[in-house]
Amino acid sequence: MENNRKKDLLVSSFLVMFIIHSNQVGVGILGFPRYITQYTEQDAWIVVIITGLIFHVFVWMMYVILGDDNEDIIDLHKKWFGSWIGGFLNILFMLYMLLGAVIVLRTSIEVIQAWMFPELQTWIPAIMYLLLTYYVLAGGFRTVVGVSFFGVILPIWLITTAVSPAKFSSFTNLLPVFDHSLKEFAMGIKQMTLSYLGAEILLFAYPFLKNPKKSRIWAHLGIMGTTVIYLIVMVISIAFYSDEQLQQTIWSTLVSWKMVELPFVERFEYIGITFWCFVIFPNLCLYIWAATRIGKKTLHIKQKHFSIVLLFLVFLACVMIATREQIDMLNTVTASIGTYFFYIYVPIIFLYSVIRRRVTR
Amino acid sequence: MRMLPKRDLAAELIDVKWFQKAPFKKEMTLDEMLEDLSKSSDFVTYHNKRSAISYTIIYFASIIDPAQLHRNVLPKLNECEMKSLEELESKIPIQNLEITSDAKKIQERLMNGYLAVRLSNDSNVLLMDLSLTKSRDLSAPEIEFSVMGPKEGLIEDLQTNMNLIRRRIPHPKLRMKQVTIGTVSKTKVIVIYIEDIASEQNVNTVMQRLEDIDFDIIADSSFLGQMLEDNSFSVFPQMIDTERTDRITGHLNYGAITILAEGSSNALIGPINFGQLLVSFEDYYLGWNIASFFRIIRMFSIIMSIVATPLYVAVLTYHFELFPSKLLATLISSRSDIPFIPVIEVLFLEITIDLLREAGARMPSKVGQTLGIVGGIVIGTAAVEASLTSNILLIIVALSALASFTTPVYRMTNTIRFLRYPLILFAHFLGLIGIALFSLFVLVHLIRLTSFGSPYLAPLYPPRLMDWYDSFFRLPYVMQKKRAHFFRTEKVSRFLDKKEKKRNSLDFDEQ
Repeated sequence: MENNRKKDLLVSSFLVMFIIHSNQVGVGILGFPRYITQYTEQDAWIVVIITGLIFHVFVWMMYVILGDDNEDIIDLHKKWFGSWIGGFLNILFMLYMLLGAVIVLRTSIEVIQAWMFPELQTWIPAIMYLLLTYYVLAGGFRTVVGVSFFGVILPIWLITTAVSPAKFSSFTNLLPVFDHSLKEFAMGIKQMTLSYLGAEILLFAYPFLKNPKKSRIWAHLGIMGTTVIYLIVMVISIAFYSDEQLQQTIWSTLVSWKMVELPFVERFEYIGITFWCFVIFPNLCLYIWAATRIGKKTLHIKQKHFSIVLLFLVFLACVMIATREQIDMLNTVTASIGTYFFYIYVPIIFLYSVIRRRVTR
Repeated sequence: MRMLPKRDLAAELIDVKWFQKAPFKKEMTLDEMLEDLSKSSDFVTYHNKRSAISYTIIYFASIIDPAQLHRNVLPKLNECEMKSLEELESKIPIQNLEITSDAKKIQERLMNGYLAVRLSNDSNVLLMDLSLTKSRDLSAPEIEFSVMGPKEGLIEDLQTNMNLIRRRIPHPKLRMKQVTIGTVSKTKVIVIYIEDIASEQNVNTVMQRLEDIDFDIIADSSFLGQMLEDNSFSVFPQMIDTERTDRITGHLNYGAITILAEGSSNALIGPINFGQLLVSFEDYYLGWNIASFFRIIRMFSIIMSIVATPLYVAVLTYHFELFPSKLLATLISSRSDIPFIPVIEVLFLEITIDLLREAGARMPSKVGQTLGIVGGIVIGTAAVEASLTSNILLIIVALSALASFTTPVYRMTNTIRFLRYPLILFAHFLGLIGIALFSLFVLVHLIRLTSFGSPYLAPLYPPRLMDWYDSFFRLPYVMQKKRAHFFRTEKVSRFLDKKEKKRNSLDFDEQ
């Protein structure tokens, strides 16, 4: 079915691949192997694949929830639960999106502070990022998608740097395979979910696709891309580090970049972090964009004005979070909210939508 | 007030309405008008009483062709016994004759080199075109030089330019529409497009925007360029200024629109996208592989030219450890005597180069060469010897200046030089992260930018793989079957696709 919205505002269906992929890959990839190997050690790469497959199921569920009517989750909430409960759910969603934005921004600034500018005040890069975000939002959804498109394309070459640590790796570290209990796998999957969060942006972007029905395959490809990249990073991390080493390295991917040798460049991680700015930025834009959509539809405030309020809130939150412990705590909180969202909320609403559509038919 | 097409915030702030026409009408009678004009000393009103019916001829002596006046007009006026203007009209062997009593029209025609004949004190006059235009001869393009290909550039005369273009495209659908713009300069502006190929929407946009322009003088087509642009805040050119007729022809064929202005030796081409700024028309005369190679080189040279000195600032201010120790030793030894922080050192040299360039552009060409030697060799060497700058920086600055000149579009060269300065400052304050943030800003700006409503970064974003055959590289002509989607053309195919291609089944050493 073709979309009836004004043509100029829509984006090609296949871009949903970049939207989902760019929103999933963020700061997490710089350090996630440590958290997963806590539970499953050398089997962590299996966890990556399993979680990826689980997210394919979630994407399928989300498509079922969204149905054929070119509505996003905001409309559906209102339609199904009335404007009070629906509105409440939407506000919760908005807070979740804001939390996502805060965590992305604050963690990326932390990386910059930890590796390049120890003296740098948090507010300086924060304000620059957020002003840029406003510039993007003012350009509309097409610009947001443009940023996520380039956020995937421009830094994609970084994946080739995996070759350098691979030269110093012993891939026998990956053995023995399947050496952990189900419980350990479950714990690993729970940790892994944080890195896969971001696919929920589909619930908001859906009505902006030119041909939403046909975008399905591309959404799955987006998840697949994420899985492949995570898998490469995970395998390299397991093979490159010993187990204890990995447990002590917060930013394992960053540290493994030290192995990259170029005639002009000694410490490649600086260049890596510089390009990382392109990876972080789409996350910020997409999350705040989704939050402004909720503001527009639920609170009836223009995106033009509401985005300023939200950006200011994100700014305040970022400046207030100061220590590594707070950032870690925020990550844990977001991880558990995200986990509940995907493993409880999405299946429930999926069943609800299926039953409701059966009944009304 | 017309409805503007969807625009972004930046454009709204400095809306084009500034240059829009306000309704303005003031009628003058013929006699008042003539009296007004006679205040100029080159205005001639010659009254002849001796002929059968007394007549007056009126013209501006400075802009009519006296030879034609004496050969074709005066003899006819005197020899025949004419009773009416209609009779006279049939006898004078000149094209563009008309009879009118509209004072405004008469004034307009007189200003354009027409001659008016008036019988006794009749309110009707006969207008005839005796205009004389002086212009220089055709010459080779000076800004967009090329080694291969035609050496034919536009000149300041509109008629000649139109002739050059129509001779190259003898296509019945080649349309040339005239608009007059400028309350003072009354500049004739011609919009050229091929009707079946150019998208109607684009043509309408251009015509509408041109007709809405209210400005006093259009000294050059670049005036129009700035008023037609979608976002006049942007430093990126949204139309290409060109003096090459082959380039105009090529773009017209793809579905672009060309704008010529009287008295301007540059044409404007739009809509364009970023990729086209890397295209020298010579690329089409070279083989596709060579041309693609050069385009990629140009792409790199743009990036290098913008980023090289900011990287120097960033690395030497914050990220020493980025360099391997051997390289670092060279750098440090070359900088050891320099009393400035890197940003001052870089700005000093960058501004010197820009001064040289500005001075070179304003100088007569013979002095210009001396200037290059004085600037490049003397100042450069002296600055290094006086330890004001390191010689490594001198190499970097010279290279990036050189790289900025590889861009085939002159306006883009300026953009590149301009972008470097904010980037140097960002690099000074935030090192590599500053460079990344500013690059992000430029990227977002480019994503948002449009040229006549078409996305500027196409075919990169929105991604259209079909259009890639002629953007950052160029494929052979056989593979350029279709016109780019970018121009929204209706006539897509460029030549018939011969489907029954022969399979190349022969092996080596067979015939």
